[in-house]
Amino acid sequence: MSTYDAIVLGSGPGGYLAAERLAAAGQKVLLVEKGALGGCCLNVGCIPTKTLLACAKHYLSALGGKPFGVQAERVGIDWPAMQAWKREVVDKQRAGLEASEKRLGVEILAAEGRLLGPGRVEAGGELRQARAVIVATGSSSVVPRIPGTQGNPKVVDSTGLLELAELPRSLCVIGGGVIGVELAGLFASLGVQVDVVELMDEIAPFMDRDQAAVLRRAMKTVRFHLGCKVESVEGASVTYRAKDGVEQKTEADLVLIAVGRRPNVTGWGAEEAGLDVHSGAVVVDDRMRTNLPGVWAVGDVTGKSLLAHSAYRMAEVAAADILQSPASDPAPVPDRMRYGAVPWVIYGNPEAAGVGLTEREAQARGITIRKATIPLRAVARFAAENGFSAPGAVKLIADAANDRILGVHMVGAYASEMIWGAAVMLEQEMRIADIKQVIFPHPTVCEAIREAAWEL
Amino acid sequence: MTQVLVMPRQGNTVESCLLTAWRVEENAAVRPDQVVCEVETDKASFDVEAGTEGVLLKRLYAEGDDVPVLAPIAVIGMPGEDWRAAVAQDAGQAQAADAGEPPSGAGLPPLLPGASDVRPGPEAGPQRISPRARGLAEAAAVSTVALQGTGPEGRIIQRDVEAAIRERPALTAAARAAAATGASIPAHGTALGGRVGLADLAGPAVEPAPSQRESASPAPGASSGGHGETPLKGIRRIIADRMRSSLTTTAQLTFNGSAPADRLLALRNRFKASDPQRGLAEVTVGDLVNYVVAQVVPRFPALNAHLVDGTLRTFDQLNLGVAVDTPRGLLVPVIRNAGGLSLAALSSETKRLAAACIAGTVKPEELTGGTFTVSNLGALGVESFTPVLNAPEVGILGVSAIVPRPVLGPDGTVKIELRIGLSLTIDHQVIDGAPAARILKAFADGIGDIDLLSWGR
Repeated sequence: MSTYDAIVLGSGPGGYLAAERLAAAGQKVLLVEKGALGGCCLNVGCIPTKTLLACAKHYLSALGGKPFGVQAERVGIDWPAMQAWKREVVDKQRAGLEASEKRLGVEILAAEGRLLGPGRVEAGGELRQARAVIVATGSSSVVPRIPGTQGNPKVVDSTGLLELAELPRSLCVIGGGVIGVELAGLFASLGVQVDVVELMDEIAPFMDRDQAAVLRRAMKTVRFHLGCKVESVEGASVTYRAKDGVEQKTEADLVLIAVGRRPNVTGWGAEEAGLDVHSGAVVVDDRMRTNLPGVWAVGDVTGKSLLAHSAYRMAEVAAADILQSPASDPAPVPDRMRYGAVPWVIYGNPEAAGVGLTEREAQARGITIRKATIPLRAVARFAAENGFSAPGAVKLIADAANDRILGVHMVGAYASEMIWGAAVMLEQEMRIADIKQVIFPHPTVCEAIREAAWEL
Repeated sequence: MTQVLVMPRQGNTVESCLLTAWRVEENAAVRPDQVVCEVETDKASFDVEAGTEGVLLKRLYAEGDDVPVLAPIAVIGMPGEDWRAAVAQDAGQAQAADAGEPPSGAGLPPLLPGASDVRPGPEAGPQRISPRARGLAEAAAVSTVALQGTGPEGRIIQRDVEAAIRERPALTAAARAAAATGASIPAHGTALGGRVGLADLAGPAVEPAPSQRESASPAPGASSGGHGETPLKGIRRIIADRMRSSLTTTAQLTFNGSAPADRLLALRNRFKASDPQRGLAEVTVGDLVNYVVAQVVPRFPALNAHLVDGTLRTFDQLNLGVAVDTPRGLLVPVIRNAGGLSLAALSSETKRLAAACIAGTVKPEELTGGTFTVSNLGALGVESFTPVLNAPEVGILGVSAIVPRPVLGPDGTVKIELRIGLSLTIDHQVIDGAPAARILKAFADGIGDIDLLSWGR
């Protein structure tokens, strides 16, 4: 029987980072993966979508160069080349990941792993033991019970969509959440006619309402059908009913189901091992410990925050907890997972990002707020790069009682690269006055945050 | 003739001192040994004596001013004399002294007090704090109420505030601002990098602000012998918050009963006399009761549960909290999976945790995660009490002393029986009276028949 310091089930961002951190600290680590190393994020999620989005942005830049004095003719899309570039990026990233895990001494096992109990895992037909087991089994696309979606070749999930051999002329996206909006933006940018059918009254329900509307309107060529419930799918024809009861139908070449993801809590022994699973997710505390001694869980499987960067952080919290010597005295301040400043990003066209409370969430908590919104065209760099009519805004929300920044929300270019600074503001519980003392480089788009602070 | 009083030199590295308080009004008479003012360096505070008899003609600095050493701070003379001339004349002498003369006395102005003349003066009042320390405390958001001053007579001086800043954890920007208004700061934070964030601050401090304290008069009817005030801090503060929260957020109801203790005691005595190899010689009555609890609680799923936000969360595994009295206050370490432990293991784990609690080495994670708690005050002779729920748990068993009680035998005669008192508090939101009574009976039966417990179901 093989014995390790730690066994990690699943090699997505949570799993591979936990393995890296533990191995770097001298632990003997086994990383068990039944699919491709890197999990959904690297293989069929974050990385391939961002690669294709980069292709789309090049295309849009070429098309829209005229106001900037650039003339381009016969601009076209070579979808197979885009797919080849995507594959190259993913393959090289995966190879790089494998190399870095191996360099740190992580043993990678291509097999299905099964949790048997505290410290015990079955993988590759062998019983393996470890002081610590980290469950990082991720999540899967939710398959809704909509008539006509099962076994329908015209219906795909995000993984299927990204593998298309040729671009469809039209696409109907069921679900206006982060994945639906992102892929709608990507395919619309490539000239595909996109319809989005969303049950709620606005896209991206986690977004600030004002900003969600800004993002939606910025996606000019996408047709949004909000407050509509999909009744059935036939071929690539989607029938949905609006709030007023009127039934409508959208004809497309292809239908994308993007109604969310669900933690993978079955098929690897959670129940048999006695792991506490509640509301479809593995229950963890703020140090990522499960109810079983010696078993931690990180990432999507905890259902806490289904984001790769949340998984990264959870992995580090778990690794720190595992590495904390029980004999150390006094015990160091434990590293704890906090969810109050997890930034999110929609890599659409344009991008959107946010961290902290929205106006509505603050109100629900009975917090009296102060808010300010600055249009991005008010800052020079954004206007120079995008024109004076380009959509985009930064919104700051502060607690009126103590001036603490509660939320930062943005739509527009670079939002994804700016939001970490806002996360720091929240983690540090900075107040309006504190932000005013921070020096923002000029000219940059992030100056809009500073402007908003002065507006508050 | 006028005499100029100068700021005394306090060692070779001190360039200036803070004039913290005047003790003598202008135009008031002074004796040579009378303290004229208090001054302070960053390390200590001192009194400056008049050194001569006369009238304080002029104070040259205000309280709170930072005064260079050897600079004139006051003029003493006869009523009506011109203090300005004295200061002008003194300026030349002070420069001469600065220009290389050792600060030993010779060549210095006649009224410069030597180091031996500077002694800590008597202090009065509930809390003395120097302006410099107060300024630093305000700037750094340090609450001075609980600081131990190391200046004369316990006066809080700059180094005390500096030490407090060093010893406390880092604060987030907003927490720092909140701390300045008097919120108490825990030893560890849960915000970025262990910083103390707003959520970690326990709210406005219970103690009144220093200014209020100083002016507060004793409550009507209070002893004229004064009163003590101790701000609740640290563990005491946490206990206070938890207990108050428990009583305000739950519907607590206590059921009292007792169980025959003869078999319990007999078993305990057999264990005590047993071969130490068995690991049972150290088993206490409390361990036996805990063992019964660990067997009984899992039979009542609603009892091994948390009530949070209107949802009852039941647990398959019993994590038994055991109340421990420590020098720092009540701690409740948690025995994980108590239902799955043997008596010997349960006993040794209880002892380990209790010792760790008393020694202060218990790990934070050993104090969390309990699903049911036992509080045993039997050793202290308590006959009955109402245990307070360790919320969000929904049950706690109080164990009292074993006392002889009269019982009516089956033949109608009264006999004396040793019985152990049991007090079960439950959250009536979750558990009704009759089920609670059945649970209490199950505990009592388990204890009464402890010698059978391990053999049945």
